[in-house]
Amino acid sequence: MPVSRATNSDTFKVTTPSDREIAITRLFEASPELVFEAMTKPEHVRRWWGNLDDRYSVTVCEIDLRVGGSWRFVGRGPKGEIPAFYGVYREIAGPGRLVYTEIFEPFPDAESVVTQLLTREGHKTRLTATSIYPSREVRDMVLKTGMEKGAALSYDHLDDVALELARG
Amino acid sequence: MPADQLSTTFAALADPTRRAILARLSTGECSVTELAEPFDMSMPAVSKHLRVLERAGLIARGREAQWRPCRIDAGPLKEVAEFAERYRHIWEARLDRLESYLQTMKAKEKKHARKPRHK
Repeated sequence: MPVSRATNSDTFKVTTPSDREIAITRLFEASPELVFEAMTKPEHVRRWWGNLDDRYSVTVCEIDLRVGGSWRFVGRGPKGEIPAFYGVYREIAGPGRLVYTEIFEPFPDAESVVTQLLTREGHKTRLTATSIYPSREVRDMVLKTGMEKGAALSYDHLDDVALELARG
Repeated sequence: MPADQLSTTFAALADPTRRAILARLSTGECSVTELAEPFDMSMPAVSKHLRVLERAGLIARGREAQWRPCRIDAGPLKEVAEFAERYRHIWEARLDRLESYLQTMKAKEKKHARKPRHK
């Protein structure tokens, strides 16, 4: 697989901190408060979360932002409804730190726990989302598929994924 | 598919020889001897890979014939592919869209701030 240096490699990165984790980091041109608002209020989430293009929409977006509260997002694409993603908020510490569980509906027992950090970097904000999977096998499969598909796509940030994975 | 089964399936697919065996079986059922041909591997080694695939529910082996033909079971494969594909899809595009949307939010904020106040 060709590994090239992506142009935006300092804004998006995927790493594997341990054998059951994937950490994704992304730099945004906005304040932590604004990023947090965009990620935790349904009226905003509906505008970006599942809308890959005009054929996609978010049909359900429920957020009960309190510890023990649940969230549930359902997207709709050209082939119909996409199974839901849902989970429960475990820790909420302002915009800086949010911990929640995430489940993809067809695999209710393959729950991952996501720790999402927002840190200020000058006028920008760095998002770091670390997901812990139930087993190394599940984690590896997620990574592996991302890498194979990534090689065929031209997205800069997927080059980055590939680069990180190539480094192991 | 229970979590343990999902892990078993992923583990079975993590090996290149087993993926090659599945690719061969996707063209039709065949015997262990036929499966072993392209690989520089002993028959017991091939049988071991087949047992892993069988436990993961990815292949089935016939009871009806002495040579116990192997055939692929696409059910778990399809579920795994869907899971990984959707997952990748979401992560890939999600954050780019968030960035675009944040710029929209910022532009709106500026517009509001510029509006002259009427009392």
